[in-house]
Amino acid sequence: MAPIQLTVNGRVRTVDADGDTPLLWILRDTLGLTGTKFGCGQGVCGSCTVHLDGKAVKSCQTSLKEAAGHTVVTVEGLSKDGSHPVQKAWIAEDVAQCGYCQPGFIMSAAALLKRKPHPTDSDIDEAFADHVCRCGTYPRVRKAVKRAAGGVK
Amino acid sequence: MTGRRDFLKLTGAAGAGLVLGLRLEAKPRPGETAKAAFKPNAFLALRPDGTVRITVPKTEMGQGVRTALPLALAEEMDLDWSKVEVVNAQPGPDFKSMQTGGSTSVSSTWTPLRKAGAAAREMLKAAAAAQWKVGLDQCRTERGFVHGPGGQKLGYGALAEAAAKLPLPKDPPLKKASEYRLLGKRTPRFDGPAIVTGKAIFGLDVRRPGQRFAAVLRCEVPGGQPKTWDEAKARAVKGVKAVVKVPTGLAVVADSTWAAFKGRDVLAATTTWDEGLAKDFSSAALEAKSRAALTGPADEARKAGDAEKALAAAARVIEAEYSFPYQAHATVEPMNATVHLSPEGAELWTGTQSPNRAQGAAAAALGLKPEQVKLNVALIGGGFGRRLGTDFSTEAAEVAKAAGGGPIQVVWDREDDFRHDLHHAATLHRLRAGLNAQGGLAAWAHRIAGPSILRSWMGGQKSPSQASAEANGAFDIPYAIPAITVDYAEVEAPTPLGWWRGIEVVPNVFARECFLDEVAHASGKDPLQFRLDLLGNQGVVKFGRDEADIPRLKKVLQAAAAKAGWGRKLPAGHGLGLACHAYDGRTYAAQVAEVSVLKGKLKIHRITCAVDCGFAVNPAGLEAQVEGGIAFGLSALFTQITWDKGRTVQTGYLDFPPVRQGDMPEIETVIIASSEAPSGMGEPPVPLPIPAVLNAIFAATGKRIRTLPLTGASLA
Repeated sequence: MAPIQLTVNGRVRTVDADGDTPLLWILRDTLGLTGTKFGCGQGVCGSCTVHLDGKAVKSCQTSLKEAAGHTVVTVEGLSKDGSHPVQKAWIAEDVAQCGYCQPGFIMSAAALLKRKPHPTDSDIDEAFADHVCRCGTYPRVRKAVKRAAGGVK
Repeated sequence: MTGRRDFLKLTGAAGAGLVLGLRLEAKPRPGETAKAAFKPNAFLALRPDGTVRITVPKTEMGQGVRTALPLALAEEMDLDWSKVEVVNAQPGPDFKSMQTGGSTSVSSTWTPLRKAGAAAREMLKAAAAAQWKVGLDQCRTERGFVHGPGGQKLGYGALAEAAAKLPLPKDPPLKKASEYRLLGKRTPRFDGPAIVTGKAIFGLDVRRPGQRFAAVLRCEVPGGQPKTWDEAKARAVKGVKAVVKVPTGLAVVADSTWAAFKGRDVLAATTTWDEGLAKDFSSAALEAKSRAALTGPADEARKAGDAEKALAAAARVIEAEYSFPYQAHATVEPMNATVHLSPEGAELWTGTQSPNRAQGAAAAALGLKPEQVKLNVALIGGGFGRRLGTDFSTEAAEVAKAAGGGPIQVVWDREDDFRHDLHHAATLHRLRAGLNAQGGLAAWAHRIAGPSILRSWMGGQKSPSQASAEANGAFDIPYAIPAITVDYAEVEAPTPLGWWRGIEVVPNVFARECFLDEVAHASGKDPLQFRLDLLGNQGVVKFGRDEADIPRLKKVLQAAAAKAGWGRKLPAGHGLGLACHAYDGRTYAAQVAEVSVLKGKLKIHRITCAVDCGFAVNPAGLEAQVEGGIAFGLSALFTQITWDKGRTVQTGYLDFPPVRQGDMPEIETVIIASSEAPSGMGEPPVPLPIPAVLNAIFAATGKRIRTLPLTGASLA
């Protein structure tokens, strides 16, 4: 089995692991990027959302093999200093409660706004249809996405 | 007082263990010298550079204690909030009874933390006054500085060493609310920046040098044990290091979480089980037993007048049965704990609501003294009462003991989390109301039947307060009714139960407030006016050891109704419903839901919530608790755990569907201004969305829903 290369947060990484390993565990256990969270492992809670070539994907449902040669961005790589418009909007609206699911929400929000700079309410509902926040931050998630609207390049 | 609060008091959640005394730390933290740092109490340490470390004795799980609690201290000490660092307390001599539950974090620490801040402020002022040779009353403090009468100014950091030598003031003066600069203002969550950049460390994010990962293969039936298994195939999985027997099952230890999960799957295929005492448990059988208990003997939780006699004499009797299912906590961060054994003892990292009990239980499992287990409280990715349990941290200690070696993180997966939750138990409710000839409510009888959460929590013992615990929210019905009987009939169930955000108040207030709505309609009265009339001119009402200030409850009810436009003309298919409760007699809340049901499809448009929780320490946090509490309560309209052959039927978020972005109504919060001491806000909003929505569905459709969860079929 040959080591697998992928780019994570701008850095080329070489990983020696089975190709069927979910990207989630490569990020968390192999690369030590624990900002991407494990919530369900079933692709239905959204906590593990990262960007694969700029698109939001569930890293628990994406194998290392599928990520090989591609570009991955995690919450740690969204900005150097928390200055991404979505991160700033999240702070301005004081969205997080426990905060565990929030990196996933933030990554989906960033991908949504890149795709659709001025999303409608139903776009927002759809973008987070696969996310669970048990603390119930949904009203503030909506406000933060609207606040960040137009600001994501 | 209810059983859970008795329990919390016994284990010290009321904050009795907080220490306020002059003491220097034996060992300074790195970068500090004991000589220079000012540590007048267990909560704060002032560094020479003026930065302040505040130690929070409660666990952060999203409810905002790492913001609200430091604010109380910072206010009295007149700190520069930007120079505050917040750390979690560790169980030990300073913190002997930490526990986070019962919506008590702010109320139990409010006074000690403010006194700690005020004492420090007075000592810093005294140090400055001595240096300037002026009177203490000529000095004042502001944002980390002491100011003197002649324009002198010294930063707290520069005064730390001198202040540390002064005596601790016995009774430092506390500020008036009108002097507050931080309290009562909107302060964003302290951990916000760490959360949005992925830097916040939850239990599952703990990484230690040489750390291994473990998954435990447990019987699908709680309490079951493996009979036979073949380790060889699991050990052959790449990355798997060991398979060890632990009291809860078989642990697969590996060099990554994924390898541990894979090894466990392979092991599962070779394992046979003794499914134990719960193997035949089913929801259908439990429901039949509970229904039988609705008419048998029961323990009294409230008795006023003679309800049976009044019912017999009533002009009209209304009767209904309500049903609330088992629930799971379903925290998004699954249970986990990391344990590192060393020759001296052990170090444990976990998100726990019960640090001292977790420490004690792990120590017992390891054959150590509690003080030999250093417990680090991690951030919690959703608690909701689940992490009051010590099962997951003790299990991790057992895995570390059996496997030996360096640090091991035990990770539960989503299915483990659902199957081995400490569930909230199902209940059936029989309610009867007697109306007199004028349509007045003359008698009320509420029978609750189901397993006892308190008994399960007390290790199988029956507590003297069991009936009032299981009838919480029912026995303290606030309405003036001449004859009331509320009682509880226990039904045995074999799986472990635990506290769930909103506890028994959720099902009991659901049944109470929906049935009251039925009675209002049967009397031909508006549900708001009916409630206001029944609350009447009561003052403070006592229910056993609990009491409620009825004028405060009336006020929130009127405020929510006014804000929601109660009585306004609504579009076709829309309805308004309301519910109110004085939670534990301390926090008053009322909610109005606006829903529509069009072609059988329910939409919850808006929930308006009015709350009186005393002084609002941080209104931004308070509103977050209202939004979150409503989301948690609304989810329980749609979720249930059912049992079949001793197993939970539900194992994930698809068959246990909490509300998601598109389901969430607009939330409006009305905070009643109050100068009363702050009470709690974690749970009080949770019980109300269910009855408010169901009463609104009735208003919209004439359909009365008494059995949860709500399904498409319920509305058809």
